[in-house]
Amino acid sequence: MPDEGRRSRLSRVSVPLSRNEGILLIALVAQIALFSLIAKNFATVGSFFEISRLSVELGLLAVALTPIIITGGIDLSVGAMMGLSAVLFGLAWRDWGLPIPAAAMVSLLAGGIGGGLNAVLVARLGIPPLIVTLGTLSLFRGIAEGITHGATNYTGFPPAFLQLGQGYLWGVIPAQLPVFAVVFAAYAVLLHRSVIGRALYAIGFGAAGARFAGIPVVRRLGLVYLLSGLVSSLAGIIYVAHLGQARSDAGGGYELDAITAVVLGGTSVFGGRGTLGGTLLGLFALAVLRNGLRLAALPSELAGVLTGALLLATIAMDRWRGAGRPLARVHVDEESDVKNSQVAVLCAAVIAGSLIVASTNVWLVRSILPAIPSADGQAAGRVPAGGGRPVIAMMPKAKGDPYFVSCRVGAEEAAKELGAELIWDGPTGLDAARQNEVIENWITRQVDVIAVAVENRAGISTVLRKARERGIKVLTWDADAEPDARDFFVNQATSEGIANTLTDEASRLLGGTGEFAIITGALSAANQNEWIAFIKKRVAEAHPGLTLATIRPSDDDRDRAFSETQTILRVNPGVRLVMAISAPAVPGAAEAVRQAGRKDVHVIGLSLPNINKPYVHAGWVQTVVLWNTGDLGYLTVHAGVQLLRGSLSPGDDEIEAGRLGRLQIRENQIILGPPLKFTTANIDQFDF
Amino acid sequence: MRSIGRREASVLAAIAALALVLAAAAPGFFARDNLGDLFLANVPVLIAALGMTLVILTGHIDISVGSVFAICAVASGLLAKAGVPMPLVALGACAIGGLLGALNGAFVAYLRIPSIVVTLATMVALRDALRWTTGGAWVQELPAGFQWLGTTQSVYPVLVAGLVIILQVAVSWGLRNLAAGRAVYATGSSVDAARLAGVRTSLVTFSVFVAAGAFTGLAAVVNSVRFSQIPSNTGIGLELNVIAAVVVGGTLITGGRGTPAGTLLGVVLLGMIGPALTFMGVSPYWERAIQGGIILTAVAVDAVRPHVMRVRSYA
Repeated sequence: MPDEGRRSRLSRVSVPLSRNEGILLIALVAQIALFSLIAKNFATVGSFFEISRLSVELGLLAVALTPIIITGGIDLSVGAMMGLSAVLFGLAWRDWGLPIPAAAMVSLLAGGIGGGLNAVLVARLGIPPLIVTLGTLSLFRGIAEGITHGATNYTGFPPAFLQLGQGYLWGVIPAQLPVFAVVFAAYAVLLHRSVIGRALYAIGFGAAGARFAGIPVVRRLGLVYLLSGLVSSLAGIIYVAHLGQARSDAGGGYELDAITAVVLGGTSVFGGRGTLGGTLLGLFALAVLRNGLRLAALPSELAGVLTGALLLATIAMDRWRGAGRPLARVHVDEESDVKNSQVAVLCAAVIAGSLIVASTNVWLVRSILPAIPSADGQAAGRVPAGGGRPVIAMMPKAKGDPYFVSCRVGAEEAAKELGAELIWDGPTGLDAARQNEVIENWITRQVDVIAVAVENRAGISTVLRKARERGIKVLTWDADAEPDARDFFVNQATSEGIANTLTDEASRLLGGTGEFAIITGALSAANQNEWIAFIKKRVAEAHPGLTLATIRPSDDDRDRAFSETQTILRVNPGVRLVMAISAPAVPGAAEAVRQAGRKDVHVIGLSLPNINKPYVHAGWVQTVVLWNTGDLGYLTVHAGVQLLRGSLSPGDDEIEAGRLGRLQIRENQIILGPPLKFTTANIDQFDF
Repeated sequence: MRSIGRREASVLAAIAALALVLAAAAPGFFARDNLGDLFLANVPVLIAALGMTLVILTGHIDISVGSVFAICAVASGLLAKAGVPMPLVALGACAIGGLLGALNGAFVAYLRIPSIVVTLATMVALRDALRWTTGGAWVQELPAGFQWLGTTQSVYPVLVAGLVIILQVAVSWGLRNLAAGRAVYATGSSVDAARLAGVRTSLVTFSVFVAAGAFTGLAAVVNSVRFSQIPSNTGIGLELNVIAAVVVGGTLITGGRGTPAGTLLGVVLLGMIGPALTFMGVSPYWERAIQGGIILTAVAVDAVRPHVMRVRSYA
């Protein structure tokens, strides 16, 4: 906080000093103290800088949002703008052949235009910012998807550029941190040291009043939205440098995290109150919470619950403490005189809130205590050599996905069998940036083996190499990173194998000729796009009678897949087979075919047996293709432990994997075996 | 009450324009089956949006609807599996929704924390809590009487149509003619004025959140019974659809102005755009951009008009 002391002098004059900041500071100190106790390697300089690296993009958005929220507005389009400028940057660099600085200018120009559009609609036309930015959110994200057709990933950026997102200054400071510092300082001057900043607070207190006081409301408001577009696009460029990849879904959901940080930092959503220092504190509180939980190996779902609790508790306490004092302004939403009953309610809420916090803390500590003695017991009894239980950290692409949930079952089984400790964590939705974040945490925590289902090949390889340098064994499973970034890839089946199996099955069902449609996951999903490419190739080479009528997205949502299938059946009446290549899409498509009563339409796809059993038995789904997911998790943990104990080393051509027997290894890829085809005949033998 | 508002008129015009283009380019859109499917797919959005209309009319917002929707959907499945009869399942889901709404409402009305903050917190917390407890597992092996509420595929739409008409008429009529309905508008127009006029504004605010929660619970049941299993990650992003439908339908985000009829039009417009683009053969990759463009145009047309002179208010 560069100018904390001086700013408060200014604040005293213009705004009632946000009490939130004080409360939040106490909460932050408490958090840090707690995590230092229970989490491994939490309070280290390295950990601090890693946390700050991961928060730069989010931090930029939060800084840009602070003055907007102070004027009483909101900008939901910041995350989408990040995605759009990332894609434009990639497009300008690779397809237009521009040098990096020129590509960055193109990207910033787009940010300016996008921000300008928001500015015109909000400031000039006076449309409520919530609606405007909700619309531009769709618009920006949609243009990004349109440009890339969801599929294109711009990669292969020059190493000098990637240094901006992955390198260090003087060996310790993440390279993007100074960029953040500059933007933060510029915003601090604008907001807290200039006439314009004063005007923004005035607008937040009351736009009509501000205008009568001679403030050019339209221009001032326009400025903050314009700047927000620019800063978001800067965040987009840094995101590309950080992950080495420009894709249309960059920054998805960041807007809500950024708003959370701003509000947590004491900025009032009614406008007129808030500081950048508070926003910085809010960012820290969020980052510390998230990273601390991970370093303590607690479930990351707790982060959401605790963030919510922290947000409510901080603001409730702020309200409670502020209730007695008269505020510097009259606000329609605040009671000037508070009744006793309200004080009672407030007290009750605060007590309840602190009880929740206290009990979660007790729970936190408890959940760790039993782990320690049992670990010792296990170490003495079961693990033969090397001291202590091996810690295997395993990451799915998305935690809640039923596919990965079923992999976990096998992984747990192997961990139990081998006396290893399994940490299972990862992003809750497909999110490449968060995968990197989790791995950074694991490196800090010094786990023994990291096994990742890679979402973003180019982006994750740097951090995996770093893990190997620190002596951690690295495996990839489900999807691979670059070969030199890992020891082994546990390969369930090749993309080509999957595509061929599906296409051959479609051809068999259709008797060699006919139209089919594909329902995919998200339009930008890398795996699915690769399968689609191989499906098209297979159709061209081996099944010329098949025609691919259309490809529709389902966003991995069962209900969306259902609606899309209904529409496909109407718009393309010739379609005789629906191929769904996302797990929830298969039952969705099957239900649509069933409700339409189209016995002549086949449904096949890549999915899990359990959710499809009813449809397979009723004859609506003919074939579900998948490998044994439990075995995949089992094999991964086996490989990890054997790598650690020396019974498996790079160059081997076989692995003895417990109940799976001997499996082949080719070019450091451990092959699980051919994909399974589930039909009425065998589906009941599988339970996942 | 005003007659039809400016925004309602421009949304109606947008719907009519879209319908004309469709009639020329893809008449198959108006096939009875297709309209029936679209109706069933959008009813849950409409029901949740009616609840949201009440909240926005009081000048507040509820972005936790997606999470509440998911919890109610999973809860309705678990209740049905436990052998509870379907009407009670529906009531149970409404009650759970109402309870979660009461949680939001208590924080907003009695602790005076801004609604966007409260519901942002509950959105994140409830979603992660659900993820944690279910571990991503779907609710399966539902009893036979669950799908179509124990009726059949052809009877169910009639049932739902009846339900929607009753809800739509009841909310419209109640807002216009009941003291409680007028209190919602009064609170949204000016909390202070309403309080001085004797309206119990805190109670009004609390009640609209409870109502919104209960409506969301009902929407979850109406949606779930179209299928034979319930995914636990349902309703992601629902809040944006619902809020977009309400504000596109002309409800002022700052409260005090708007009608359930406008919300109905908003749901119709937004629900039409996606399938309409598919019918017209637009590439799926450009759909989202076009949707955003149409929403922006619909609200901008309403704002661009001669001699704008109004005291601007910011959400």
